[in-house]
Amino acid sequence: MQVNGQLALTVLMGLFLVAVAAWVARVENWRSYTPVAGGGGYGQEDSYVSNEKPSGVIRWLTTVDHKDIGLLYGAYALTAFVVGGLMVVVMRLELINPGQTLISNTFYNSLLTSHGITMLFLFGTPIIAAFANYLVPLLIDAEDMAFPRINAIAFWLLPPAALLIWAGFFPIGDIIPAQTAWTMYTPLSVGEGLGNQGNAGVDLFLLGLHLSGVATTMGAINFIATIFTERGDKVSWANLDIFSWTVLTQSGLILFAFPLLGSALVMLLFDRNFGTTFFAGEGGAMLWQHLFWFFGHPEVYVLVLPPMGIVSYVLPRFAGRRLFGFKFVVYSTLAIGVLSFGVWAHHMFATGMDPRLRASFMAVSLAIAIPSAVKTFNWITTMWNGRVRLTTPMLFCIGFVSNFIIGGVTGVFLASIPVDLVLHDTYYVVGHFHYVVMGAIAFAGFAGLYYWYPLYTGRMYQKTLGKMHFWLSMIGTNITFFAMILLGYGGMPRRYANYLPQFATLHRLATLGALILLVGQIIFVWNFVQSWLEAPKIKDGDPWDLKDSGLYTAEWDWFDRKLQTAIADGGEEADVVPDGGEEADVVPDGGQEPESDADE
Amino acid sequence: MEAEPGLSDQYRRASPWPVFVALGIPIGEVGIVFGLFPIAVGGLLLFGGSAAGLATEAGYAKTPWRALVGAAIPLAALGAGFVYTAISLPTRGFAILAAAVILVAVAAAGTLFAQDQQPPY
Repeated sequence: MQVNGQLALTVLMGLFLVAVAAWVARVENWRSYTPVAGGGGYGQEDSYVSNEKPSGVIRWLTTVDHKDIGLLYGAYALTAFVVGGLMVVVMRLELINPGQTLISNTFYNSLLTSHGITMLFLFGTPIIAAFANYLVPLLIDAEDMAFPRINAIAFWLLPPAALLIWAGFFPIGDIIPAQTAWTMYTPLSVGEGLGNQGNAGVDLFLLGLHLSGVATTMGAINFIATIFTERGDKVSWANLDIFSWTVLTQSGLILFAFPLLGSALVMLLFDRNFGTTFFAGEGGAMLWQHLFWFFGHPEVYVLVLPPMGIVSYVLPRFAGRRLFGFKFVVYSTLAIGVLSFGVWAHHMFATGMDPRLRASFMAVSLAIAIPSAVKTFNWITTMWNGRVRLTTPMLFCIGFVSNFIIGGVTGVFLASIPVDLVLHDTYYVVGHFHYVVMGAIAFAGFAGLYYWYPLYTGRMYQKTLGKMHFWLSMIGTNITFFAMILLGYGGMPRRYANYLPQFATLHRLATLGALILLVGQIIFVWNFVQSWLEAPKIKDGDPWDLKDSGLYTAEWDWFDRKLQTAIADGGEEADVVPDGGEEADVVPDGGQEPESDADE
Repeated sequence: MEAEPGLSDQYRRASPWPVFVALGIPIGEVGIVFGLFPIAVGGLLLFGGSAAGLATEAGYAKTPWRALVGAAIPLAALGAGFVYTAISLPTRGFAILAAAVILVAVAAAGTLFAQDQQPPY
């Protein structure tokens, strides 16, 4: 039986390799190695996208163009956002009533674990990579990334990573999803004891996470090399744009943080499968926490710095002024990058670690609020007396600043040891970091998606739907996560599938907020897809009227040249009008209407 | 040149290799962790072969055959480490070694028997 199983696997694997070889041989048209006759099915002369790429599915499977890879990252990240979002909707429904049993406690734990990992590693990091891939080469006037093929490898590692992370949810044998929470604390994650965390589903989950870390590191090396070596003649360190600065700093953080996560995960896999004892014994659990958070806290800044860069880049365009204190925004980015490696043990204040060490981590954690505040004041000052245009991307930028202040200030309290000892492991912490990850990071992502929508689709989104999306997201975020902060003050511990009746009102409020968020995101998906398919094409290379205020930038210049080329070629002129009298909805959100010119 | 131009010749911004490099790594990893010998060997072959193809296409190697040896050397070292050091996971080590041996064998066969003196890439 054993031999037969091995034989079957060998045959299957062999067939798979032969199929791969045949496919590659066919698309490459190797004369002496082409077992499939005919060979002309791919990339025919009459159906190419441009002179640089084949057409159809083959284009997307084989592309090494930074813009295509950026779009792939974006599609991937938004898919993960939908999955992670639907997971949490199920969890919030479970929490409508105390004692409710819509789903089992173990399934709740599985969703909790996967929601965290999905949002941080499969949505957060890739959506940033989407912007960075598409925009950084355009902004720094590079032809492409420094290593285009590595770029493609880094992306293609992510789909297998997602499948491995979610493996336990698929009906494969007796594999179950991981229930370790995203922090994977030992000894639970080692799989010892009476629990079910020795299951192979947890190994697959760890492998998937490891893989996503490898992908992220490859991407980071690529961005560092690109920004250092591929800048155009006119782009110097002195005039490098703010978004590229944040991507560069983020890549530096990734370079130091992610290999450590990879190593710690391999050690954990060895503990689980091969009898090593890295995390066994008295110090083992603490060792895991130190290693994990040495990665985990910089990861927070890996996720927040580029969104801050997006806001620093987009917000001035609609404030009619240049970014106030540009240099200090760059310095604060670098300062956050350095300080982020000195704060990790503030996640461990309640573990009984040495009080002197604890005090030093408190000091650095409080100090990191300073560069963050520098940025916040600079954003506010940029808008001060500016010609503010409340377009959808601008609304999301302002929402970012507002939510970031609440998320940041609640974090300052947590940095203080005595307060942390009271609030540790309560919903206060959950509310705090969701204000940052949903209220700030996701909002900046939306700001970028709307602002550059004409750039990557050649069309404009529907303005009214965009604003509905913003307001539902803003209200939903604040209801959900403010209720969580209050729950934390009341002593509600995090991660539970059930609660005492006294918490019912606030939990229902949080669920209501989550459902408002859900409606908002459904509108977003509708707007995003329908406008991409049906909105009229943009003919102007300056859809936001940036030239009027002297804030025109390189990527729109590239877009304008692309439009000019298309017209010269005689293509792209046909105007697609959406049917059914919806024209009022598809007015470009360019602030051209009198009502949005605030100071007229 | 008689042969039709291949995808990566015809299109400057396309390459068939990255997706298979990326598939090879998880397949190899899963095979090694769970001790599935054929999966480990196949995944590593996919990874090594695609990496060699990629290196050749990008101009880092003149022919794929030497690049295959280049991919085999670190695999051989890793496999030997699994078999002969304190890691002591001989079956998995032999799987990695087997992948390295097959890559070298393909490289040798390619060097000796391949007809294209000047490959079209």
